[in-house]
Amino acid sequence: MATVDLTQFHKTFFEESLEGLDAMEAALLALDSGSTDHELVHTIFRAAHSIKGGAATFGFADVAAFTHVAESLLEEVRSERRGVDAELIDLLLRSVDCLRAMLARSSSGQPAADADSEALRGELLRLASGEAVAAPAAAAPGVASATGWAIRFVALPHLLQTGNDPLRLFRELEQLGRLEVRRAFVLDSAPARLAELDPSQCHLGWELRLHGAVARGDVDAVFDWLDGDCELVIESLPGETSATAADPVAMAAPATAPVPAAAPPPACETATVSAASGEGSSIRVDIDKVDALINMMGELVITQSMLSDIGENFRPSQLERLREGLLQLERTTRELQESVMRIRMLPIGSVFNRFPRLVRDLERKLGKQVRLELHGEHTELDKTVLEKIGDPLVHLVRNAIDHGLELPAQRKAAGKPETGTLRLNAYHEGGNIVVQISDDGAGLNRAAIMAKAQQRGLLGAGEEPSDAEVAELIFQPGFSTAAQATDLSGRGVGMDVVRRNVRDLGGSVGVKSEVGKGSVFTIALPLTLAIIDGLVTAVGEERYIVPLTSIVESLRLGAEAVRRIAGGGEVFHFRGEYLPLMRLHRAFGCADAVTEIERGIVVVIEDAGRRVGLLVDDLLGQQQAVIKSLEKHYRRVQGVSGATILSDGSVALIVDVGGVVRLGLRAKAA
Amino acid sequence: MAGKRAAKQYQDERPAAPDGAAAVVLPADCRLAAQAALQAELVAALERGADVALDASAVERVDTAALQLLVLLRRELGSRDGALAWRGASAAFNEAAGLLGLARILELPAAGPA
Repeated sequence: MATVDLTQFHKTFFEESLEGLDAMEAALLALDSGSTDHELVHTIFRAAHSIKGGAATFGFADVAAFTHVAESLLEEVRSERRGVDAELIDLLLRSVDCLRAMLARSSSGQPAADADSEALRGELLRLASGEAVAAPAAAAPGVASATGWAIRFVALPHLLQTGNDPLRLFRELEQLGRLEVRRAFVLDSAPARLAELDPSQCHLGWELRLHGAVARGDVDAVFDWLDGDCELVIESLPGETSATAADPVAMAAPATAPVPAAAPPPACETATVSAASGEGSSIRVDIDKVDALINMMGELVITQSMLSDIGENFRPSQLERLREGLLQLERTTRELQESVMRIRMLPIGSVFNRFPRLVRDLERKLGKQVRLELHGEHTELDKTVLEKIGDPLVHLVRNAIDHGLELPAQRKAAGKPETGTLRLNAYHEGGNIVVQISDDGAGLNRAAIMAKAQQRGLLGAGEEPSDAEVAELIFQPGFSTAAQATDLSGRGVGMDVVRRNVRDLGGSVGVKSEVGKGSVFTIALPLTLAIIDGLVTAVGEERYIVPLTSIVESLRLGAEAVRRIAGGGEVFHFRGEYLPLMRLHRAFGCADAVTEIERGIVVVIEDAGRRVGLLVDDLLGQQQAVIKSLEKHYRRVQGVSGATILSDGSVALIVDVGGVVRLGLRAKAA
Repeated sequence: MAGKRAAKQYQDERPAAPDGAAAVVLPADCRLAAQAALQAELVAALERGADVALDASAVERVDTAALQLLVLLRRELGSRDGALAWRGASAAFNEAAGLLGLARILELPAAGPA
């Protein structure tokens, strides 16, 4: 028989299942907040149904078995035989979590079921009991039956038309254990005469015995897609207890370690994981975006043929047409670039979507009341950035609810509504994506932060830092003021990790806070990690590109504006503060550069609120730079984040603003 | 229906087997697409003789629907005291009939070591 390699579809299955779970979760949360929309129940049911179907097709029996039970429960809700209550929603939300974990385990090649999932499956079964479809309560949930199963399988006439051939089902059962056909029989529905038979109708039934330690879930999974296509009764074999008696441990153990008999034993867990984790990441692209690309491509081809036409036999009179063509080429190229970049762009909503659940769980845990507002979910950003921004955002949201928002009683006493508000907002600003997490809670506790800072030696006893400086303190490593560490936040590994993660993405994070009014955390991220808008500067014979988003201002300074300080550093006065001056030619060792301050230009750059002036020879213009990794092609160089190729084919280095600012500040401190 | 007619013509030209049974040779691929023709052949065989002889030695692919046809053939033969004889059966055919527990009903001769 020709077999199709199903593993090629696994990745898609996992992705789609995770999306289905997201949809399920969102719908459950909507139900939880009192919505009575019947469509929500359908959404949840559909999601569960397709995960079950996919899991069964691709051989993830545990996942299929688990979803099957959840689906039976949902079917009762859908057909209005069961009402929706908090207990049910809670159970289903936990099932969503559990399925995520099961899918994660499946994708890394481990058995999907574990003690937790089996326990949860048991709970679902208990709630759904009374359902006769394929879940008789007699069967211990998911636990391998040491003896085997008695299966009565009667085809409904249309079984074959659904593409389900009992022959294939029996072959699958054979894989699980020793299959014995006790009886095969022709049903009364069969016509007496062969001539009257419609060969596409099935009139057969079987009584089967499946011997061996087979998990109920595995048996269910075989028949999983046959709901409504057959009559099925599966019962554990009570008679053959000899195997059980011989191995009492097997019976006692299952609660903690269910034995998925069909799955090969995980030979070495770490080996399996490492083998499977080398997955390539993929992206699903909206067909509109692809169409746009093809359009652009067409334009490009037209322009190219027009230009080559002019080039073929050029006459001076055609100069105007040539210019026009080049202009068009430039426009099309830029649009093409944007379209290509847009392929990598995904709405931030996919990250925001996990917060309603998080907030709900935290509310219950902490006894707080939170209203979550989400704005700008459609703001798009690069997939790489999107994947990495999730954890920092989760941390900030947890912090805001745990530390920021007060308990209802405290809020009432402070004259605020008992329900606190947490706002997540995402928007474009310049070349950046800005994500703001704001709450109307108590704000940063200045006294507590200062006390902690003094205790840790970050702050002298008599110092009176500004509010902004106090706020900066919370980003210090190991800084936590939580009186007692909860399991949510306040383990002292918080804000510094957030800042580091954001910085790794080329972004910055800052906080503004007002006592009694709340705090606003602002994360600014580059739209993409692959292309930057840069200012091309000349230093001697070299060209350096400074990312435009980090430039504050460029100015000419007189020689008198620069002061030397002890240790050889230089500073200059800029808008009421002294900034360190870095001579780029000196930092990077460039020959023939301008050394007199008044002949060069100082570019003031900023990183995370700290500013440094860079002395360059000249500004050459603005250009988009496609970042090429220096590390990949050469090695890591301090102060340089990458390289790019200029229009004349020469290589220019891209200034790593964060690194250069740190270098500059060190020089100032020295 | 065209298939049915064609099968009938074919059947009519074929001489009856020496032992008097109407013989039917099962095609290599006995799956759904072939079944209208197979059914016609089997029905024709039922009409022609008291006994039917089947040759399944060329069968490579078979499904439940095909075996169901044979089971119903056996049943109808039985109801009028006809006999079903086997001229041969391929390994694939024996395996499928065995898996579905139909080998005994079909009176398949015990297959060699599978």
